[in-house]
Amino acid sequence: MAEVSLRHIRKVYPNTERGRRGGLFGRRRSEQGRASTQGRASTLKVTDEGVLAVPDFNLEIADREFVVLVGPSGCGKSTTLRMVAGLEEISGGELHIDGRLMNDVAPKDRDIAMVFQSYALYPHMTVRENLSFPLKLRKMPQEQIDTKVSEAAKTLGITEYLDRKPKALSGGQRQRVAIGRAIVREPKVLLMDEPLSNLDAKLRNQMRAEIIKLRQRIDSTFIYVTHDQTEAMTLGDRIVIMRDGEVQQVGTPQEVFDHPANIFVAGFIGVPQMNFFDAELVRTGAAYEVRVGGVVVAPSAEKQARLAAHDVPTQPITLGIRPEHVSLATGGARTLQGTVDVSEMMGSSVHLHLRSLGQDVIVIVQTMDVDGSHRGGYAIGETVEFTFGGDVIHLFATDATGGNLEF
Amino acid sequence: MSKKPAAGNSLRQSTRRWAWLFMGPVVAAFTIGFVWPFFQGIYLSFCTFRVTSDATFVGMGNYQSALADPSFQHSFWYTALTAVVSLVLINVLAFAVAYALTQSIKGSNLFRTVFFMPNLIGGIVLGYIWSMIFDGILSAYGTSILLETRYGFWGLIILMCWQQIGYMMIIYIAGLQAVPEDMLEAAKIDGASRWQTLFKVTIPNVMPSITICMFLSLTNGFKLFDQNLALTGGLPYIIQPDGSTINTTEMLALNIYNTFYNANTAARGTAQAKAVIFFILVAGLGLAQLAYTRKREVQQ
Amino acid sequence: MMHTEQTLVAERRRKTILSVVLAIICVIYVLPVAAVVVNSFKLNTFVKTETFALPTEQSFAGFSNFITGMTFGNYPFLKSALYSVVITILSTGLILLFCSMAAWYIARVNSRACRAIYYLCVFSMVVPFQMVMFTLSKTADTLKLNTPWTIPIVYLGFGAGLAIFMFVGFVKSIPLEIEEAAAIDGCGPLRTFFSVVLPMLKPTLISVGILEIMWVWNDYLLPVLVLDLNEYRTIPIHIQYLKGSYGTVDLGATMALILLSIVPVIIFYLACQKHIIKGVAAGAVKG
Repeated sequence: MAEVSLRHIRKVYPNTERGRRGGLFGRRRSEQGRASTQGRASTLKVTDEGVLAVPDFNLEIADREFVVLVGPSGCGKSTTLRMVAGLEEISGGELHIDGRLMNDVAPKDRDIAMVFQSYALYPHMTVRENLSFPLKLRKMPQEQIDTKVSEAAKTLGITEYLDRKPKALSGGQRQRVAIGRAIVREPKVLLMDEPLSNLDAKLRNQMRAEIIKLRQRIDSTFIYVTHDQTEAMTLGDRIVIMRDGEVQQVGTPQEVFDHPANIFVAGFIGVPQMNFFDAELVRTGAAYEVRVGGVVVAPSAEKQARLAAHDVPTQPITLGIRPEHVSLATGGARTLQGTVDVSEMMGSSVHLHLRSLGQDVIVIVQTMDVDGSHRGGYAIGETVEFTFGGDVIHLFATDATGGNLEF
Repeated sequence: MSKKPAAGNSLRQSTRRWAWLFMGPVVAAFTIGFVWPFFQGIYLSFCTFRVTSDATFVGMGNYQSALADPSFQHSFWYTALTAVVSLVLINVLAFAVAYALTQSIKGSNLFRTVFFMPNLIGGIVLGYIWSMIFDGILSAYGTSILLETRYGFWGLIILMCWQQIGYMMIIYIAGLQAVPEDMLEAAKIDGASRWQTLFKVTIPNVMPSITICMFLSLTNGFKLFDQNLALTGGLPYIIQPDGSTINTTEMLALNIYNTFYNANTAARGTAQAKAVIFFILVAGLGLAQLAYTRKREVQQ
Repeated sequence: MMHTEQTLVAERRRKTILSVVLAIICVIYVLPVAAVVVNSFKLNTFVKTETFALPTEQSFAGFSNFITGMTFGNYPFLKSALYSVVITILSTGLILLFCSMAAWYIARVNSRACRAIYYLCVFSMVVPFQMVMFTLSKTADTLKLNTPWTIPIVYLGFGAGLAIFMFVGFVKSIPLEIEEAAAIDGCGPLRTFFSVVLPMLKPTLISVGILEIMWVWNDYLLPVLVLDLNEYRTIPIHIQYLKGSYGTVDLGATMALILLSIVPVIIFYLACQKHIIKGVAAGAVKG
């Protein structure tokens, strides 16, 4: 129904507002303080104007596309979403929805709906009233409201709770009502801000599946914000990975997984995290090889071609390999050695934490081979050998951005 | 999560357009009912005046005569004594009752209802009820509450206890119910006696309630007016050597009121100066309480 | 541990004793009110001499005290009761409506001016009435706020402090997301406040409402200074003025009027006891 286009979107929090003293909103400030101490200290840019939460955001979202903004807390993903919603003022740039410039349009006139992390249901209204509220405000005739509400309730399986108040519902049910309230209006764009973060793990998986089903049924464009890469991978047509207000990479889940644009993306996407080694890239004519811990690995032909196309010279690099691409080996010239630190039994596989080349390396080992024979347990302190192929390695520059050398 | 401060929130901007509606009535009434009278009162305390429109600036003169006024001095000490005595009695009794009521005894709801009830009766009415009762007792001995200062004093203390114990009790009950049950059980298992548990575990844990109640009863005592007016009206009085009179059971608030509205309207400047002194006294207590509560909130 | 059974028996005995002691205190507590009831049915001359005796054939006055009381003291009691009701309802209504609106605005907009007003409100809570009573009564007089229909404005002004303080505290605890959801659903600021925020404020509205009702209903000094006393009186003023208007007071009639004035209060208390105790406790801890 609607394309969304964000061109050079900026968000600046003026210094005076942010650094304000005043006891009234002490709570809010401490919340912020907590957020930034949770993870790595945020390195948002501070200019004369104020704090640059989002310096320059560009994205064209197609009609009915499902885009996920993902990144660690404080990366600007929620701010961006809230600018689309009209809850935050846009400091610069242009926001178009369905071709119309929306910068100064009130939230209610943007034809959007939003699902909040805290559900934000109206506590004094029943579920039915919660669902009909946005329709009533649009002066829709009562019979039509009733039909739409019961349709939405049926879609989400909340018909039997229609006359209850939100506080009589479980977290999952509340989440359904919140989604119901958003879809009942058939908005052009459906915005979701960490909608599953308050649910427990089991319910979260279930609701994730429901959201996938839901988007088949409705015609809205989805913009979804999460800090959870699994949600991003499973839900998104395209993923936008953000950090400190800047877009790191935009692509399909497969693209960002297979070809991360930089070390940050590589480390953020994929569980367990990608392993990194200090290594050296050596160029001989058109041929490249990677030297790591006395072992030489030749990148795949495809990778070699791309490196050559960018005329990448010999240099020290950070080598990345996903845990699932590392395999244990016995003997051979192309193996590295490590001692077992921790062995985590996951059921179908074992996650081995190895100490190798002065760093931690995670290896995923299938516990059962295709022929049904079990691999033995691994003792702590045991020395094992492992190897990896040249087609699954990722080569990153050692500078601050850690860009993928193939790009 | 990555929530941002309210700054730049566009809802704020659209709300601001309605400032006149949301803030207008309160700001107007607050100006009439508090801000203007307050500042005018401060100004007038430096003036001689009979009506507010013809005030002459005289500087600190009013404060000097206020502080030198023996009736004001008397009412200050009388008020302080009343406030402190009532503070001790009210808090000890209220805590005892609250402690008893939280021991899961039969009828505690009924008791609570009864003990709180006097709180709802206005000060004037309370004063008349108790003056009838005291005079009913004292008339048997041929005297009256209006004839002796000590009757008036203890009469007022009893009245204040009757009125305020229920109120403080409610706060103490809330405090006592917030003491974790397992902490008390732990003390029991550690071999603490009932009294040890009370003094070493329970009371330290309800210290916040105790502080709030102490402040409240102290400020209540200092601000007392209606009850004082209706019970004794300040009587009996004694005549000073210089011919002026001192109402022996007159508290600060009543003293100020009488200075304003007695026959000698020339003393209104002095009355306003007394009011400012009184304000500083009461506000000091109030702000100390506020600061204390703030500090505690931060610590939590 | 060996004497568990004995300890339990002792415990039970202790609780029984406690109950009995409390019951006795309870009776003592009710006595003053009982004395009012008893004496309101006695002839004037017996109130002082037989205060604690039940009415005898000699002293029993029937309902004559109540009838005398109605016209007693130069002013009809029912009229002052009516004005008390009017002033209490109007003042409480004004305070609840306008202070909740202002508190929401203050908490959400939080501009410099808002914070200044907020701190001024907090400050006003610690200012005793005597500080402003003279100037306030003159100002009210000048602005013709000396009738039962206009005095609520004075109450709104002087009572705004506590109400705004309590409302702001509660508004801050409401997640902003709900109002954002309302904005997206199609509410402007006005509708957001009246259809979303105000219903959520209900518990605080009740608490503040009860505090204000108790204050205004029992208040003596403010109305006595502000109202035009020849025309308008409230119940506390009426009762206080009984003394001044007669050389010797008709104590029987006074008790009858006192009884009439506390009966509604007690009924109100018994009807919403839970809310009252909660509201009063909330006000105490905050203020």
